[in-house]
Amino acid sequence: MAEIGHGGKEIVERILEPAEAAEKIKGLKAIPIRSQIANEVIDISYGWFTPLQGFMNKADADGVCRSTQLADGTVWSIPIIFDMTEAQISDYGIKEGDTVLLTYMDNPMAIFEIEDIWSYDMEDMCQCIFGTADQKHPGVLRTCGYKEKFLGGKITLVNRPKINPPYDAYFIPPLEMRKKFKEKGWQASVVHQTRNVPHTGHEWLMKGAWAQAYGGLPIEKPIVGVLVNAIIGAKRKGDYIDEAIILCQDELRKSGYFADYNHMTSLTFWDMRYAGPKEAIFHACIRVNLGLTHHMYGRDHAGVGDYYDPYDAHRLLQSIPKEKLNITPVYSMNWLYCPHCGEITNEGLCGHKKEWQKFSGTLIRSIVMDGVKPPRLIFRPEVFDLVMECAEKYGFGSPFVTDKYLENRTPVFSIEPLSA
Amino acid sequence: MAEEKYPINLWVNEERYDKLQKANLADMCAEKLAGMKVIQVFANDAQKDKILKVFPTAKFDTATTRSIELLPKKVKDAIFDKVIEKQNPDILDDFLSAY
Repeated sequence: MAEIGHGGKEIVERILEPAEAAEKIKGLKAIPIRSQIANEVIDISYGWFTPLQGFMNKADADGVCRSTQLADGTVWSIPIIFDMTEAQISDYGIKEGDTVLLTYMDNPMAIFEIEDIWSYDMEDMCQCIFGTADQKHPGVLRTCGYKEKFLGGKITLVNRPKINPPYDAYFIPPLEMRKKFKEKGWQASVVHQTRNVPHTGHEWLMKGAWAQAYGGLPIEKPIVGVLVNAIIGAKRKGDYIDEAIILCQDELRKSGYFADYNHMTSLTFWDMRYAGPKEAIFHACIRVNLGLTHHMYGRDHAGVGDYYDPYDAHRLLQSIPKEKLNITPVYSMNWLYCPHCGEITNEGLCGHKKEWQKFSGTLIRSIVMDGVKPPRLIFRPEVFDLVMECAEKYGFGSPFVTDKYLENRTPVFSIEPLSA
Repeated sequence: MAEEKYPINLWVNEERYDKLQKANLADMCAEKLAGMKVIQVFANDAQKDKILKVFPTAKFDTATTRSIELLPKKVKDAIFDKVIEKQNPDILDDFLSAY
């Protein structure tokens, strides 16, 4: 039976088997791509980006900028675009109607059928997507750094990525994810979007969202789950290393703070744009494709600095009808520590406002950097121990991204030579 | 309206606690987040801006705690040592004068 994804379109994996792939790529011009594009090739090919079948042509990108929708009216909020310089296009002799081979790590990755070569006012694009053209905004900086021409057209993967340990267990594309939800018997599932090692504030965000997603469903047996969907992509110095993020999120289940029947960890390849409300919509689209029924949104979802009001994303989500974006937002209030209650509680529940002690992932990182082990009410000891283990095993002594980590880390995935 | 002050949290590990005890300053610690000991050094707007400029890894947590976080440990150690030396957490002007 067809699996229907975002925009009411069937999720179809655009992937060739090796023998057919080897035939199809013969004689094609090879164009090397960078990691951002390779991530997006995977997202397109496996269906994370349904209904996109490739990189956007001008009509789709313009629709996204002008009205947060593709040319066919499907809600979409972030341009998925393939950039090249005019000189590169000329040097490769690329023109509309051509088919080229995209390579990554010097090996064949995908076929790109070029339908449209276009340009755009990038400052205008930034204003539309980020609400600013200020180059201090990391998404603006990235977008304005794109080359001056864009190529739109269909992508077909010719070489499946080899997902390297410890990430391999967490690479669960949309069609496979939907099977897993069915196997688990989840009638509702709520996603926790993260780029963090979890502290108990995150844990309670998930537990609160789980309860909200349960709503009026029957409780005789467990039928609601939390999916942690970690965003794995470009790293900034000082972030937690990816290995610590993915393994520590799963540790909450392994150590019993959640259970097999209500919690699962996975990843999505994506370089964050920090587009706040627009990125919140985008996250919803990809989570619809993963088969989720609910999406958690806290304060300032996918924001950065002071560019967005903490509830801009909530307001934009509320403006989109369910028939256009088939996922239910779960808005989460902050969880915090109340010394009077002696527990983690919620700002919507606790009446000891003057005694509240708020904490954030950033604050916890500072505590860890100071060489202090936080108490279990704040940070689970199993998670803390695993963070330190990851520092030794993967982080060259640090649980945080350093220059050495960026230079020497094992890639999350590899594209290996094509074996027919 | 009083000017907002932004804390730098010096979380007190065993090594720092030993130093505080030796200086008879252990009472300076506050208790936060279910039993962690901390000394808070407060920055005004100008000091906050200077810290964020001089130490680019530092981050002002605008959303949740409104505190200055992610200063390198050696910088926080130096601030901590200055607190011990002056026997007072009001040391930021003195500390920042070197930068």
